[in-house]
Amino acid sequence: MHFERNVLLAMLAAAVLLPLVVADQYLLHLAVMALFYVILASSLNLVVGYVGEFSLGHTAFLGVGAYTAALLSNRLGLPMWATIPLAGVTAVVFGCAIGAITLRLQGPYFVIITLAFSEVLRIIAGNWVAFTNGPMGLAGISQGGIGDKRGFYYVVLALAALSLYLCYRFVYSNIGRGAVSVRENRYVAQSIGVNPFGLALRAFVLGAFLAGLAGGFYAHYISFVGPEVFNFAFTASMIIMVLMGGKGTLIGPILGAVIVTVLEERLRQTQELRLTLFGLIVILVVLFLPRGIVSLMRPRREQRGEIGRMVPVKEGAT
Amino acid sequence: MDLFLQFLTNGLVVGAFYALSALGLTLIFGLMRVVNFAHGEIYMLGGVTGWFFTSALGLNFFAALALVIVSMAVLGWLVDRFLIERVRDQGEEAGILLTIGLSIFLANLTLLVVGPAPMKVVGPLTEGPVFLGPVVLTKLRIVAVAIGIILIVGANLLIRKTRLGQAMRATFQDPMAARLAGIRTDHIYACTFALGCTLAATAGMLLASIYSAQASIGGLVSLKSFVVVILGGMGSFPGAVVGGLLLGVAEAMWGGYVATGMVDIIGFALVIVILLFRPQGLFATRVERA
Repeated sequence: MHFERNVLLAMLAAAVLLPLVVADQYLLHLAVMALFYVILASSLNLVVGYVGEFSLGHTAFLGVGAYTAALLSNRLGLPMWATIPLAGVTAVVFGCAIGAITLRLQGPYFVIITLAFSEVLRIIAGNWVAFTNGPMGLAGISQGGIGDKRGFYYVVLALAALSLYLCYRFVYSNIGRGAVSVRENRYVAQSIGVNPFGLALRAFVLGAFLAGLAGGFYAHYISFVGPEVFNFAFTASMIIMVLMGGKGTLIGPILGAVIVTVLEERLRQTQELRLTLFGLIVILVVLFLPRGIVSLMRPRREQRGEIGRMVPVKEGAT
Repeated sequence: MDLFLQFLTNGLVVGAFYALSALGLTLIFGLMRVVNFAHGEIYMLGGVTGWFFTSALGLNFFAALALVIVSMAVLGWLVDRFLIERVRDQGEEAGILLTIGLSIFLANLTLLVVGPAPMKVVGPLTEGPVFLGPVVLTKLRIVAVAIGIILIVGANLLIRKTRLGQAMRATFQDPMAARLAGIRTDHIYACTFALGCTLAATAGMLLASIYSAQASIGGLVSLKSFVVVILGGMGSFPGAVVGGLLLGVAEAMWGGYVATGMVDIIGFALVIVILLFRPQGLFATRVERA
C-alpha cells in the first residue's frame, strides 16, 4: 500500500516538473496523449483488474464523454471546465444503465455484451446525422483559450491525478477489497456477505466516470469528435495497456499507457509495418510476461513476505 | 410480397456463410474456452489465399478451395500448438489478448503484402441469373451455398461419427477425464482449432467468390460470428447454423424494409436481448455461470 502510494506520488512529482524540462511541442503532445491513456487504462483497470470481468466495451464511455463535451461546447457554448465534468456525469448515467444490464452476466458473455453495447453506440453515432452529425463528426470544438500544449498538459495531468486519487481511494476502501474478494472467489465472497453485483456495479460506474472525463478532455484537445471514438481500436489499446502493464495494480496501467503510447509513436517510423510489429509485440508480451511489466519490479517488502508467485493485489489485504 | 421472398432468399444465402463461419468459432469456444478474436482474420485469409490461388496462380476453383482448406488447417494447427497452447490454463483474458494481438498482426501483415484493394475470387461458374418463380439467384450463389451446406454437413459428420469427433466431444465434456481415458487432448485442441479455422476460411473464400475479399474485413466478421454464436448458444452446433440463418434473414429484412444504414445494429441488438432473457442462447442446454 505504502509502496504503491509512494511510487504514485513520485510519478506525480516527475509529471508536474516535466514541462519545465521539455519545451518541444511534439514531445509535449506525446506526454498529453500518454496521460490521456493513463486515465483510460486506469479506469478500465478498475473493471478488468479489480472486479475481474473483462470489458470490451469501455470505449463506449470514452465516446459518450467525448460527444457530450463536443455537443455541449458546440451547441450551448459551455466552457471547458463545465463540459468535462458534465461529460463524466453523462458517462455515469450510461455506466449505470449498461452496467446494470451487463454485470448480470459473467465470463465470455460479459465480454461480448459489453462489446455489443459499444458497437451499438458506434453505429448510432455514425448514423444519427441530426444529432451527432453522423460520419462527418463534430468539428471546431472550442479549445477554451488554451493555446499551447503546456496548458493542455496541466489540464490532463490534473484529470489524471484526480483519476488515480479516486482509483486509489476506491481500491483501498472496503468496496475495493470486497471487489477483490469477488474476483478471487465469488462464492466465498457471497458467503461472507459481500454483494458481488453491487460492488461490480460501483467499480464499473467509477470506471465509466473516469473514461467520460477522459473523453471530454479528448474532445477539447483534438477539437474533433467522430464515430471513431467508439472504435474497437481504442478498446484494444486500453486492454493492451492494462494487461501489458499489469492488471490489478495501480502502477501497471500507468506504465502500460506510457510504454504503449511511446512504442506506437516509435513504430510510426516504420510506416505500414507499424501495426504488424505492434500485434507481434502484444503476442510476445502475453507469452513471456503474462503478469505485466509490474511483475518485474516487485516491491521489496512483499518479496520478503511472500516467496513464489506474484499476486499484486495481495498488498491491499495486508 | 415478391420482394419478401427475394429478401428471404438473399438473407438465407448470406446467413449460410454466417453459419459456416460461426460454426468454426463455436467449436473453438465450446471445446477450448478460447474467445478467438482472430477468427475474422482467418476468414479474411481464406478469401485472400483463395484470390491468390485462383486469380494470381490461375488454378481451378475447386483445386484452390482444397488448397485453402489444407493451408488454413495447417495454419490453425500451428497457431494452436505454438501460441494458444502456451496460455491454455491462464483463463480467458490471456487467450483474448493473444488472439487480439494475432488479429492485429494478421490483418496488417496482409495489408502490407497485398494492399487494401478488394480481391475477387474467380468462381467456378458464370454469374448467369436463375429464375425460381419470383426469386432471382445466380448460379454462382447456388453453387457456393451448396458447397457451404456440404461443409456444414461434413463437419457435423466428422464430429458425430469419427473417432476424432468422439475424442473432441469427450474433451468438450471433461478434459481431465478425457486425458485419463488416454485421449491426447493437446492434439484434439489443435485439431479443433484447425477445423474451426478451416470452416472460417472456406466461408471467407466462398463469400469472396460472390462479393470480394478485403484485408480489413476481419473485425466485422469476428463480431458477426460472435453475434451468431451468442444467438445459437456457445458451443451449440445446430445453434450456430440456425443463428447464422436468423441473422442473415434479419439483416436482409431490415435492409429491405427499414434502412440500409443501420443494418449492422440488428445483430448487436439481438445479442443484447438474447443475453438478457436467455443467456444460454436459443439452443444450448447448459448455462455457464461464474
